[in-house]
Amino acid sequence: MKKTCIFQDTEKTENTTDLLEVADRIYGPGQFESHAVLFADSFDRLCGSFHHIIRVAEGIVDRYDPRGICDILENLHKKSGFDSILIPGTSMGQMIAPRLAKRLQTGLVAGVTDIKNQGDHIEIIRPACSGKILESVLHKGDGPLMMSIRPNAFAYTPGDSLQTVVFAYTEPVKSCSAVTRLHVRKNQHTCDIRDSDVLIAGGGGVKESFSKLYGLAEALNGTVAASRKLVDQGIAPRSIQVGQSGKTVSPKLYMALGIHGSMQHMAGLRQIESVISVNTAVNAPVCSLSDIVVQGDAKEFIDRLMKKIAVYRS
Amino acid sequence: MNIICVVKFVPDVDSIVCDVENSTLTGKNARVVLNPDDACALAFALGVKAGDPDCFVEVVSMGPMSVRPHMEDLVRLSVDRGTLISDPLFKGSDTLVTSAVLGRYIATRPFDCLLTGNRSLDGGSAHVPVQLAETLGLDQMLGIIRIDPHRFDSTRAVFEVEDEKTVTTYEMAMPGVLSVTRQSGYKLPYVSLSDMRRDVSDELVIITSQDLGFSQTEVGPAGSRTKVVKTYPQTYEKKDRHIVGTDEEGISYVFNFLKQKGFLVR
Repeated sequence: MKKTCIFQDTEKTENTTDLLEVADRIYGPGQFESHAVLFADSFDRLCGSFHHIIRVAEGIVDRYDPRGICDILENLHKKSGFDSILIPGTSMGQMIAPRLAKRLQTGLVAGVTDIKNQGDHIEIIRPACSGKILESVLHKGDGPLMMSIRPNAFAYTPGDSLQTVVFAYTEPVKSCSAVTRLHVRKNQHTCDIRDSDVLIAGGGGVKESFSKLYGLAEALNGTVAASRKLVDQGIAPRSIQVGQSGKTVSPKLYMALGIHGSMQHMAGLRQIESVISVNTAVNAPVCSLSDIVVQGDAKEFIDRLMKKIAVYRS
Repeated sequence: MNIICVVKFVPDVDSIVCDVENSTLTGKNARVVLNPDDACALAFALGVKAGDPDCFVEVVSMGPMSVRPHMEDLVRLSVDRGTLISDPLFKGSDTLVTSAVLGRYIATRPFDCLLTGNRSLDGGSAHVPVQLAETLGLDQMLGIIRIDPHRFDSTRAVFEVEDEKTVTTYEMAMPGVLSVTRQSGYKLPYVSLSDMRRDVSDELVIITSQDLGFSQTEVGPAGSRTKVVKTYPQTYEKKDRHIVGTDEEGISYVFNFLKQKGFLVR
């Protein structure tokens, strides 16, 4: 039986089971033994999904210390001999995975978005060149298969409930970072666009009327997102950027207002149920992904739709 | 204070064109540029040097000899020493090998701080800064949007990191590796007119695989643990789209769609 180790992000804990989908694709459902490594709290949600849960005890390592966390994972690997180690491609995961790969002298594929099982080998797919192209990567050598997984790229459907064995990790950590956290302040835009079911996204075509998107987002109980064009021009903050250099999103509704839909932008769209695009050019790439294409001016569209919604609600 | 900036020259992604029919990239004529994040890191270092004449800034890059003129241009920007680690054997090295090569050279140099960009335009994995730090046994932080110039010296650095929800201020004991993002907004100065033709061959050092004592099997594809087997353009499934206008009929269509899908709660 193959063994896979899945690290739960220190901050974003809700998508951990999605990494089981990655293991399913590599080995086939039910063909592997899963080990989740996580910090002391928030483990009950994963009971039943994993064979083993390794809870790192409080006080052993700082959550923002990638070196210390690597120690733990390295140690666990030495004991259990994992066949694969999957790490979420979050801010923290991106600092842990390469370090661990270096220590284990194994290959690492970053920001994985797809897996193709070709029978005798696994092709690991990741976007490169800002999402313009996809690379198909092979793992060589004896070390464990290591990947960091692009958040939201995989979605897991739970199978049968498993008998979970929980183990507390209490061994002291040897190499700690000489890093101290001095101060934390909330980002101005605290709403994560990845958590929203409805995204109202604007591109170059709504440069002049970007603020209007917030009204429509409110009316549809959604969040505003933007393309790189608006972010580079300083009209929208980087934290709400969709695309390869921004975030991958999977809302139920994606409304693309004045967005052309470059390769890099489309790389950030995943498993979206409905897409409505509003564009003066009906042949913009984003329109080919849309359920509805509204040909026309986005500003006018927002005004009219808002009016209609207001009448409906009054 | 000694600062080493580790930089990479990358194809300008915007000038790469995908040939969908042949599934190839026509990047051969792509312009080569200094990776934007790396330019920010170097710009910060040069800012420190401007305020402290004793500060020594070295730029280290690994790449083909064709980037030599670009390295020379960097040396013309008050950089004290440029080092290009170049060898045909290095071609096709993955991040594990790249970080080992860079690490072996840098270990021989004096430094208080390593500055790098956050991620490269082409690969974009952000592995090299992290694996370089691990090779040298140093701390490292990605995603830096600002370094406090008043609390940056040979003992420690204070800087801000932005993630999804927070901006966090950290202090790291030096030496360490700091990886700066484009959001920092640090901008490289232009080469002054008088420096443009300055001969900088004395200030640019070329290091080969042999200089570093690597064997053929340790570097390039032979030493790498990952291999890119093919690249192809991203494609998307087309949907049956319905085209409407912004007139009453079109707006009603969108409205009914939203209502039917449950996005309009009264």
